[in-house]
Parts: sequence; structure tokens; C-alpha cells
Amino acid sequence: MKSIFKNNAAPVIKRHMIDRFQDRITYTSSKLILTIFLLLVAFIGLIKNVFGLTDYLKNVSFIYQFYLDIAHFIWMPLVILAIPMIGGLSQIAFGQRASSRRDRLVIFMTFLTIILIMTMYPQALSGGLEIRFPEVLGIGIGFRIDMLGYIVLLITSIIWFLVMVYAHEYMKKENKSTRFFFFLAFTYVSVLGAIMAGDLLTMFLFFESMTIFSYMLVIHGQAEEAYKAGQNYIFMGLIGGFLILCAILLLYFNIGDLRFVSAITKLDGLGNLKYWIMGLLVLGFGIKAGMAPVHVWLPRAHPVAPTPASALLSGIMIKVGAFGILRTATSYFFPSKEAVSSYADPIWLTIESIGAIIIWFGIITMVVGVFLALQQSNIKRMLAYHSVSQMGYIVLGIGVSLYLGYKGAMGYSGAIYHIINHALFKSLLFMVAGVVFYHTHEADMYKLGGLWKKLPFTAIICLIAALGISGIPLFNGFISKSLLHHGIVEAYTYGDKMFFFAEILFILVSAGTVCSFIKMYYYVFIRKTDRNYDHIKREFSCLDSAMGLIAILIVIIGVFPKLLLNEFILPQLRLITFDPDFIEHYIVDAHFFTSEDLWMTVLVVFLGVVLFFAGSKFHWFHIKLPRWFSLEYLFFLPAFIIMRLICRYLRGDRCPIEYSSYNLLNLKNDNQTGFVDRFVITMKAFNLRFEASIIKSDALIYTGFITLVLLFMFIFGRF
Amino acid sequence: MIEQLPIINLLLLLGTALIIPLFKKRPFQLSLTLCFLVLLTVLVSSVFLLIHVLEYGEFYYHFGNHENLIGIEFLIDAFSAFFTVFVAALVLVIYLYSWKDKTEGIENKEFGRYYILLFILLFSIFGILYSNDLFNTYVFIEILSITSCAIISIKRKKETYTAAFRYVMLNEIASMSYLLGVALIYMITGHLNLERVATSLQSIWPLYSTNIIIAIGFMTIGVGIKAAIFPFHIWLPDAHATAPSTSSAILSGIVVKIYILVLVKLLFRVFGMEIVEALHIKWIMLILGSAGMIMGSIFAIAQKDVKRMLGYSSVAQIGYIILGIGLFTEAGLQAAFFHIISHGIMKAALFLSVGVIIYYKHVQKLKDFEGIGYQMPISMTVFSFGALGMVGIPLTSGFISKFNLGIAVIDANLIFFLIIIILSGLLNVVYYFPIVISAFLKDNKEMQKIPHIEKVPNIMLIPILTLGVAIVVLGLFPNLIMDIIVSVVATLF
Repeated sequence: MKSIFKNNAAPVIKRHMIDRFQDRITYTSSKLILTIFLLLVAFIGLIKNVFGLTDYLKNVSFIYQFYLDIAHFIWMPLVILAIPMIGGLSQIAFGQRASSRRDRLVIFMTFLTIILIMTMYPQALSGGLEIRFPEVLGIGIGFRIDMLGYIVLLITSIIWFLVMVYAHEYMKKENKSTRFFFFLAFTYVSVLGAIMAGDLLTMFLFFESMTIFSYMLVIHGQAEEAYKAGQNYIFMGLIGGFLILCAILLLYFNIGDLRFVSAITKLDGLGNLKYWIMGLLVLGFGIKAGMAPVHVWLPRAHPVAPTPASALLSGIMIKVGAFGILRTATSYFFPSKEAVSSYADPIWLTIESIGAIIIWFGIITMVVGVFLALQQSNIKRMLAYHSVSQMGYIVLGIGVSLYLGYKGAMGYSGAIYHIINHALFKSLLFMVAGVVFYHTHEADMYKLGGLWKKLPFTAIICLIAALGISGIPLFNGFISKSLLHHGIVEAYTYGDKMFFFAEILFILVSAGTVCSFIKMYYYVFIRKTDRNYDHIKREFSCLDSAMGLIAILIVIIGVFPKLLLNEFILPQLRLITFDPDFIEHYIVDAHFFTSEDLWMTVLVVFLGVVLFFAGSKFHWFHIKLPRWFSLEYLFFLPAFIIMRLICRYLRGDRCPIEYSSYNLLNLKNDNQTGFVDRFVITMKAFNLRFEASIIKSDALIYTGFITLVLLFMFIFGRF
Repeated sequence: MIEQLPIINLLLLLGTALIIPLFKKRPFQLSLTLCFLVLLTVLVSSVFLLIHVLEYGEFYYHFGNHENLIGIEFLIDAFSAFFTVFVAALVLVIYLYSWKDKTEGIENKEFGRYYILLFILLFSIFGILYSNDLFNTYVFIEILSITSCAIISIKRKKETYTAAFRYVMLNEIASMSYLLGVALIYMITGHLNLERVATSLQSIWPLYSTNIIIAIGFMTIGVGIKAAIFPFHIWLPDAHATAPSTSSAILSGIVVKIYILVLVKLLFRVFGMEIVEALHIKWIMLILGSAGMIMGSIFAIAQKDVKRMLGYSSVAQIGYIILGIGLFTEAGLQAAFFHIISHGIMKAALFLSVGVIIYYKHVQKLKDFEGIGYQMPISMTVFSFGALGMVGIPLTSGFISKFNLGIAVIDANLIFFLIIIILSGLLNVVYYFPIVISAFLKDNKEMQKIPHIEKVPNIMLIPILTLGVAIVVLGLFPNLIMDIIVSVVATLF
């Protein structure tokens, strides 16, 4: 590890080897990435007890002692939170002047986080890590690690590390990268904190800070477009936060405990309020997760951020929203393990009706996302819409697991699996889009083409990621999509037959995804164009090494699907109140490459190819919805006109009219003014007309209100 | 000895105000140090009183040993002791800041007068809090409104005079309304002492209900004007925009809150829950409070002057406090009292950090704030913390206020007001965030060239940093003062 901090003085023998790399950090970070890969292999090996290695090591006393120490070190969550924070603060000291040292520090800190997270495995497996700080924030905060949190934590830390390596190269072309790394580090802390949270308040705390810190990443480019997208992002994010706050208040008042433990017995006594609580939570976390009616911020915010940030926004941060729904629903609304032993228990009714609604939310999200993704020409924007659509899959999985309750293990594992898979391939796809943009400064796929000759490595990586997201066998997306597909089939087998249509939509959306990626791959890499890209040099940089490992992980998961399922997801399933028989029969013995699933894939790919050819022939990829079909237009212009009429009526010709603001609200400038801008314009018009007159009518207000108050008391008072 | 502390506090404050002119010929530093020592002494003795009261319970102070039927009486209980500590501590911080901030249009020779007024103002605040007598409260209220008018108009500028004139006129109307109410009550009870009035009102309330209704109406509206409760806030924005930053901080952070506390005393100690419930005062306060929360923010959105905007924001925040009091439950009152403290700290932090910017850059318009974060990172950071607190982001004391208020609203089974709280929070985002964003993120090439970063006297930076730290500490460990607030509220029920 020492070589990381050595800047010059490289051994002469290695000189020629290093030259093939772009710079020294590429060399050291490639070594680090290799180390991480080997560590992961060793980690899996130790967990699976390959060759009886774990048993052997346990016999060596000092290693066993070390293992015990780790297994009882409960302050690990705080250490993990502290490390990126220290990294983020101390990299300021290096700043722009020593940018390579700064990047080394950042990369090393994230590397350290992965190792520390790996050492928490024994604690997470026993599900026993829980610490609380009862005085903080009045009612106390706490951390808890179980396998659900652990698996998301592990994947987050790995991807974050790789994106940091990638960012070293990518951020050379951006300004103010110290600020970027600073806020990135604090976003990392917030994400880790939200995942490790032991109660809803802690989760909310980190969730809010994540919104604020990641806002700085969205508007990093400081272009006008970025500010607009950022405004949207922060308002929607804070609205989501306030909705969660409402749910917290209602829960805390009615239950008196915000820890993630079963509360269904108390909630059942609340009547309709429990649906309100869950609705607020789903909507609040759903905004961050990009769920269908409230996804509008996502396709605007993700493309404008610098690529490392958009890879993390799409890969990790929106998952925190899904994670929040999963965590709250399966803890508060699930009965405790001892209390229930059958599928028919009436205690499941609440969660069943919530689940049915969430399934349809998921389906709508999938359809809307993929439909809009097909219309996009900007690569990053298209990927952002696919994030919406893929989040629909995850939400669907959550919905299935809630709907089926006791038998919902399939949907639950599908959702977790898809969280992991989507994190991998979506961040990879964004990184590919970033590489393309880095070399060509062009993000419009219709203006690109033939890049596979110039960027062969990137083309291969992109192919792997596209196969992953399309759900092709031997790549990771296939696994989670078949789990989710099994889930939805179970939903209409055991429950409402209406979900048969959900399955059809599921297949169509998968076909749309395939079509969309055929389109992107064709236009960016394969199509012949007259543009030449001679300035692109072929060399191995941090961009490639970071993408390489993710691609390898995608293939490994695709080829060995049981690895994740058995070692990480199954222990969590056993902790939750799911039917143990169901788990043993359907999850432990799950077969992935059955002929049924493979035929389904063939069908999906076939539909996708057909859709692609039909679409490019009939120009389906350029359909646009009419503009007046937006809430902004329907609400604020009428409000403005009504206010103008009132003002005319009251003050006649002296009424100040601002034609500029009227024009801003008008249909023609629809794209330039967002929701908040319109609100502010309307409020300014309101103030211009009424503020001064209110201040001048002080005597009227005094006499008027004193009369009103006295009348009120005389009329309604009991005496 | 400890029984004498309240009157010693008052005499110290009044005496300092009288002594400052005598030091006119001496270096000004001398009187500044003296004032600082006096404020520190008052703070320490208030803390002693608070500890004493929390341990041994309340006590009365009778002037000249006359009994309260004819004499003047002070009541020192958890309520008055706690809020005197708050006032003394906040004023100490603001006072330290004011040492160097002479440039804001206050002429040098006025500077001594400013402190005279400040100490008389503090004297009257302590008087109002301690006093257990309706008419004495009136006397102190008059002193307070005259002095606060004077510290607004200390700058010799034309617009200051208009603002101060409107302020003084409205305040006189308010004082007269209050006095009318006191007279009506004296007419039927024959007492002015709070407790005696309360006991006799209980028995004669069905007989003289008209008198009592008119008295309540005039007194609440009168105090409401002074407390800037919406829609009686009309004097506030102009007064804030033109006054020096320290005066704005004192006015918004402390003076307005004192009138709210007078209102609390009137409703809880004089009239009592029975009358309050019979006359549905709850609904008047809930409606005015929630209207203030929304309308204050809406007016703030369109402001171009930062201090005017902060003034309107105060109107909205006072709405929170009134809403909390209007619930008439223990949880509501606790939330309101916590918000009095947290808003006092946050608003003082906001006004003073803006004051630093005005001191250094001489800009007060919002559009001039673009890129100012590069030059004045410390004061803009404190401003950002204040702004985050106003929105109610976790880790700031504003979040705790919002949380407590939300719980109180649910507790009173009025979930509708939860929506108003959330809406008001969102409106706060609309006008606070753009300032922070434009200050830190809008590139202004000219601004970045300037080599001096934050070339402001340390004595101005230390107070705003203290306030910034206080916001976070209260946000992290609200139980530090929440435990005291619980016992304060217990004295009112």
C-alpha cells in the first residue's frame, strides 16, 4: 500500500511498463483494482468455505482472535462514516495544485472503506450489530447492519471506489474538481449512513443530507441548464423529505418507536391512518427512487451532472429511495416472526393491499420510463429514463413481496438482486457514455457513429453492460429479471388475476429495453459515418481500468447466479417473516437457466429487434407529447390571469402590469421556465400588486380585525 | 441574597444606561468594557436565578415589603428566569458583534446613545418578564416600545424616520389597546396583580362576560401588533430594512418574542383555560398563526432587499410560535418555546451575517449577493446554516422545532396544520436557497479577483460563529434546553 503515496522515484525497471499507462495513478489504481478483485474472490471463498479454508483459519488461534475482535467491534459504522469524511476534508489541503496527490488520497480512502465493510460480514450475518445514541436529535438515532443493508453497502462501496478511479481521469477536463470531490465524499457519507440507519429518523437525517450534498454535484457544471435541473432536483428532493417527515411524525406519535421493528399490531389499530403513513413513505422515498408520477426531476438532473456523479446518482443514490421503501415496508408492516405462521393470517391484509398498489406503481414506472427512453437522442438522458424504467422493476419486486406477504420471498430477493445488478450495469453504462463524451464532446447519439474502431475496449464494455440491462442469459440482468418475472407470475397465481396484464407489460417493457439498447449501440458504435475521430489516442487510462472490473463483475454474477443469492440474500430472507418452506423450495433450489426462461428471453429479444426495425422505419423514435399537457401551464397561467383581473377591478388603470412576466408564463416559453420559476413569478406579481396597499391600509386592518375578533367571540363564545 | 438578584439585575441595567454619558470624555473603549462586564454579570446572576428556581421553586419579590394588594410584585419562576437567561445570553453575543459595526450609518457621537438605549431596552425586557402586575407590565411595555423605536431610527436617514414613525404610531395604538383592556379588567375585578385578577375572574366571569370579551379582544390585538402577528406585521418589514443589523437582530430575535411571552402570560395566567376555551381563542390563534406562516413566506419570496426578506421571514416564523401556543396543550407550548429560542438564535445569526456582508461590501440588495461566498466564506456559511435551519433540515435547531411542532399538532388531533407546516417549509426553501446558491455558485469574475478574504474584525466573526455553532448544537442535542422548557411549561398549567 505504501506505493500509493510515493509520487516520484519509481523503480527504473518498471518505467517502460508504466509508460503504457496514461499516468502513474492509472498504474497504482489498476493495482488497487486488481487487489479489490482478488480480495473479493478471497472474501467469497472465505464465506463459502472453499477447500475448508475458513475452518482451517479458525484453528489458527491469532487469526481466530482477530476474527472475534472484528465480530464484536460495534463502532464500525462510525469508523466507516468517518473515513470518507476525513478523506473529503483532507483532500482540500492538497487542492488543485497537487491534484494527483489529492486523487490518490480520495481513491485510497474509498478503497479503505471497502475493506472495512468486508470485515463487518460476521456481524451482519448474525444480524446483531446495533448501536444507539439516545440523546442525539432529542429522540435518539442509531445504526443497524443486517444482510439487506450489508449487501447494498458492499456494492455501493465497490462502485464508489471504481467511480473514484474513473473520476480521476474524467475530472481532468472539468473545473473545480476539489469542490466536486469534497461534496462527493459527503454524499458518500450520507449514502452509507442512510443504508446503515437503524431507525427511520437516522435514515431521514442522512437522506436529507444526501439530497443537499448531491445537489452540489448536479449543478457542478454551473451552466444555466444545470441550475434549472438542480432547482428541480432539490425541490422534489425536499418535498420527498417533508413527506417522509410527516410519516415519521405520525409513526412516532402513534407507535413511539422509530426503530425498524415490527409495528403491525399497533398499526392495525389506526384505521386508515396506516395507509396514509405507508403512502407518505412510498411517495417520499419514491421521489428519490424516480417512481413514475414523480420521476420528472431524474431525467433532467442526471444528464447535466458530470459523468462520475451521474453514474453514482443513477447507480447508487436512487437505490437509497428503493431501499427506504423496502426497509420501512418490510419492518414496520410485517408481523414479527413469532407472531405468525401461515399465509391466511388476517394480519397480512394491510400489507397485501399496499403491495397491490405498489405493483401497479412499478409497472407504470417501467412503461413510462422505457417509452420515454425510446424517444431520446441524448445518450445520458436515455440512460436516465432507463434508470426510471429499471427502478420500476425494483418497485415491482417490492410490491410483489408485500402483496404476497408470507410467500413474498421471491419478489423480495428479486428486488434486492435487481438493486445490485442495476447499480452495476447502469453505472457502467453512464461511464461508457462519459468516455464517449470525453473523447468526442458529443452526447447526441444521432451525431455519433463508428466508434468501435477507435474505442474497441469501450465498445466491448458497453456490449456487456447492454446485454446485462437487456436481460440476456450469462449476464447479470437475466438473473434478477427472471426472479422478478417469477414473482409476478406468483402474484397472479396466488392472488389477483389482473396481474396477468402486468406480466404482459413486463415482457413488453423488457422488449423495449432491448430495442432501446440495440438502437443506442447501433448509432454510437456500429453505424458508418463520415465523421473521423483521428484525435482519439488509444491508451489505457483510469477510465478503462474502472470499467473493466464492473464488466467482469457483471459476467461473474451472470454465470454464477447462486453466489449472491445463497451467501447474501438468503440469510436476510431467513431474518424476515417469510415462509421457511417457501424459501427452501423456491429460492434455495432456484434454477435459472431453465428452458422456459430461455424461451422467454428469445421472445423478448425477438420483440425488441422487431420493434427496433419497425421504429426506425416508421420514425417512432421521434414522437413528442403536446406541450400544453403540463401541470405548469395548466395552473400558473390561469392564476396569473385571475390575479390580473382582480387587480384591474380593484385599482382600475393604476394596476401595474408586467408584460415580461406574463410572457414568461405563456405557452411559447414553456421550456425556459420551470415550476418553481413560475411560482416565483406569480408571487412577485402578487406582491407588486398587494404588498404596498396592505402596508398602507394599517388603520383598516386594525379596526377591521378588532371588530372581527370581537364579533367572533361574541357570536361563538359560550357564556 | 439570591432573592435580591432580580432587582440587582434591573438596577445594574438601568445604572449602566445612566453611567455611559458620564464616560463621554474618556476613551470609548472604557465604557464598552464596562457594559460588557455588566452584561456578563447580569447573565451570570440570571443563570444563578434559573438554577435556584429550578431547585427550590418560585419566589416573589415585594417592593418595599408591601403586600401585592397595593404594592408592586415580581414573580421569579422557571418561566421568567429561563427567558431572562435567553435574553441576556443572546444580547451578549449581539453586543459583542456591535463593538466594531459602527459603519452602518450610525454617527460616532450617536454610538454612546445607542448603548444607553440598548440598556434601557434590556431593563424593560427584564421588567416585563419579572413583573407580576398588569399595569407594571404596561409601563415596561411603553419603555420597550419607545426604546426599540429609538434604536431603529438611530441612523439619521429619511427612510428610517418614516419606518420609525409608522412603528411608533402602530405601537402607541397597540399600547392604548392594551391599556384599555387593563382598565376594563380593573373595572370589574378591582385588582391589577395577575394572580388576584385570575382568581376573581374565575368567579365573576359569567356576570361580566361582555367586559371580559372586549378586554381580551383589545389586549390580544394590542400585544399582537407588537409581536408582529400576521396581519399586524405591517410595521415590521420597513423597520427591519432600515435599522442597523444589530437592532434588527435584537428586534426580531428578542423584542418581538417578549410580546409573545406577554400574550402567553395573559392567556394562561390571567384569563385561564376556562375562559380561553369558552371564547374559542384557540381558533383565532391557529388561523392567524397558519395564515402568517404562509403569507409571511409569500411576501418574502418577492423581496429584493435581504433584510426586508428576513423581516418577512420573521413574520412566518412567528406564525409557527403562535400556532404552537394556539394549540393550548403542553406539547404545543413546549414546541413554541423551543422555537422562540431556536428562531432567536437563527434569526440573529442571519441578521448578523448579513450585517458583516453589509459592513464589508456595502450591499444590501439580493442581486448583489452573487458570488459573495468566495469573498466572505465564513459569514455566508453561517448564513447558510441559518437558512437551512429556517427550512428545517435535520442537524439544525429548526428541524427540532418543526419536529416538536408536528408532534404537538398531531397530538391535538389537528393534522390539517401539519400540511401548513410542510407547505411553509417548502416556501422557505423557495426564498432561502436561491440566496445561498447564488452566493456560493454563481461565478462572478470580479468577486474572485479580490485578494482579501473576509477582512472583517474578529470581534464580529466570533459572535456569528458562536451563533452558527449554537444552531448545530441545539439541533444535535435539543434536550440540553428541552428539559428546562418542560419545567417552564409546567408553571403555566
